[in-house]
Amino acid sequence: MIFVILYFALLLVLSCGAAYYNQRSAFLLLFSLTLVSLVVAIIGGIPGLRFISIAAGMLLAAGMMSYAFREFLTALASDEMAKELRTAPLTAAFGMFVIFIVAIMGIFAPAIAPYGEAEIVSQAFAPPDNNMLLGADQLGRDMFSRIIYGARNTVALALCGTVLAFILGAMAGLLAATKGGYFDGFMGRMADVIMSIPSLIFALLMLSIFGGSLASPQTSSWLLFGFAVIVGLLFLAAAAYSLVSWLIGAAIVAGVAFAFALAGTTIFNASEIILILVVAIIYSPRVFRLTRAVAGNVVVMDYIEAAKLRGEKNWYLIRREILPNSTAPLVAEFGLEFCFVFLLIAGLSFLGLGIQPPTADWGSMVRENATLISFGEITPLIPAAAIALLTVAVNFVVDWMLHRSSGLKE
Amino acid sequence: MGDILTLVGKRLGLGLIILLVISLIIFFMVELLPGDIAQAVLGQSATPENLAALRREMGLDQPAIVRYLAWLGDAVTLDFGSSIVTDARVTEIIGERFMNTLFLAAYAAVIAVPVSIILGVIVALLRNSIFDRVANVVSLSFISSPEFFLGYILILYFAVKWGMFPAIASLSEGMSFLDLLERTFLPALTLVLVVMAHMMRMTRAAIINLLASPYIEMARLKGAPPWKVIVKHALPNAWAPIINVVALNLAYLITGVVLVEVVFVYPGIGQALVDAVSKRDFPVVQACCLIFAATFILLNLAADVGAILTNPRLRHPK
Repeated sequence: MIFVILYFALLLVLSCGAAYYNQRSAFLLLFSLTLVSLVVAIIGGIPGLRFISIAAGMLLAAGMMSYAFREFLTALASDEMAKELRTAPLTAAFGMFVIFIVAIMGIFAPAIAPYGEAEIVSQAFAPPDNNMLLGADQLGRDMFSRIIYGARNTVALALCGTVLAFILGAMAGLLAATKGGYFDGFMGRMADVIMSIPSLIFALLMLSIFGGSLASPQTSSWLLFGFAVIVGLLFLAAAAYSLVSWLIGAAIVAGVAFAFALAGTTIFNASEIILILVVAIIYSPRVFRLTRAVAGNVVVMDYIEAAKLRGEKNWYLIRREILPNSTAPLVAEFGLEFCFVFLLIAGLSFLGLGIQPPTADWGSMVRENATLISFGEITPLIPAAAIALLTVAVNFVVDWMLHRSSGLKE
Repeated sequence: MGDILTLVGKRLGLGLIILLVISLIIFFMVELLPGDIAQAVLGQSATPENLAALRREMGLDQPAIVRYLAWLGDAVTLDFGSSIVTDARVTEIIGERFMNTLFLAAYAAVIAVPVSIILGVIVALLRNSIFDRVANVVSLSFISSPEFFLGYILILYFAVKWGMFPAIASLSEGMSFLDLLERTFLPALTLVLVVMAHMMRMTRAAIINLLASPYIEMARLKGAPPWKVIVKHALPNAWAPIINVVALNLAYLITGVVLVEVVFVYPGIGQALVDAVSKRDFPVVQACCLIFAATFILLNLAADVGAILTNPRLRHPK
């Protein structure tokens, strides 16, 4: 009872204070919170109020944390960067903070996690105790360690997929913008077709053929090689200008593609390579469209004309004139693209078709431990919440960057 | 009127061509399979005689293009051959499930469309206020959450803790319509949350775009009351973007439905697709993909055609 009285007294005092000092938006927020709490108190009673106060406390803590983190970053950064950072909204600072934490978790996973990712340390579904912060999963592996390792595996895969999608899409887009003509039209139609199949469905179709537990190392290394050759040919088409350079370039491309495929197969296993390639192919058309649009606006500028008259080749134009003038939207698109790729990989892993066990991964952990939910446990939701949190964080940062680069103040 | 008809006709033709190309991709993707379907069915240890017999039975000894034409011809009449795992007709496997999925999507759409459009307009009118910012953050969080996260949260609270709705959306024969609505409430709500966030943001963007145009400013300056500015000046031009938003998000529902069906064990076509993929039941995978892609294209078409039809400049040519 005292809790309820204190709760409403605090809210009322705060909202009156806000109104008195003419803080209009703070007043609106606090007073609407008061009204909502009234309704919640009538329906849900004290637990409802407690829930609201916990949520508000967490929001406040997150806000303070991100404020402190922003100050920390501005103190560290150079003068110009600091000026930019000071304009960042709190949400963006929060996003950077989360990304920072996840990066630390992923990079230092073996040092942070108390157990190995596939190490069986107790009975199945053992409750949390002194050794295991979050209890054990369906095979008796430590949940906490697996979540830490998941940050490494899931995010690394999504990052690789995004980078490949980006290289393919951006290169094709830049080339289409500079070359124009049939090449442009052909690439555009290809992008149209790929984008007119829902991404999850397309991924399922490709995975049913190449992927999952049946992925074979030969197929995956061939596919990786093929992908590298296609990207290399795009580079070659931009850089080469005579028959000799085509020939030399082709040899280099073949060599680099071979090395790339070799490196890929040593780092990832077969099904992971297939997964990366599938998401790269599905999401490259988005990058292509954006790059083509952005580069298309740059190509018509006078300084490009001047460079062409100077006798510069396509490769120089792309590298020194077009790219530097279209970085801002491309960087923002990279963040957005990462969100899509990350959610797709998480979804596929959740369906049991993405990252294969025993590799720890946030999506498949949710599925494996889903039975716990029917006993009212929230542990299976933690990896899912981690996925959501990281995606929200990236989105917040991207929002800020888009706002900054477009100069929109609405 | 002639202009509109040609525009719509062109757009329909383009949709048809894209659908054809997609059917090509779906069919020839399976041809890329290391080995072939017969090999995939019988496994690595199959004897050459068995393989040859199965190939003949499945018609694999004919050239791919002939098989493609036959497959496409059957697919147009909704006959997708038979499953290679259970031997049942694909149409029987997915026919009823497709209706279930449509029901779920329609259920979600009926709730999500009006609510999110109204919310989107309100948020657009209140733009840059504290409510707008809160709505922005909340909707961004919903968009960023995977569908299974929202689904399991709803199960945890509404089904396990409070016991208000069933956690598993199993359907049975002869259920009354109300029962059906109750059983499928949680999956529908999950879809509503995701789609609503998208739709609200897009509606907001469209309306803000519109309110920034000079003729709205003009209407305000000449002293028209605010409701009249919205109803008479803004709305006729807002239909096109709103229809676009609705159709695009319904298309988005299609992808979301797969994950939601798996979370709630709902007997829909998405679950059938996931099962078929893990069992490598290619005829079912092909059929499901074709249906999903066709629906997706259809909705995108509807968006474009709707935008053309509601464009006042096209309806009243000079």
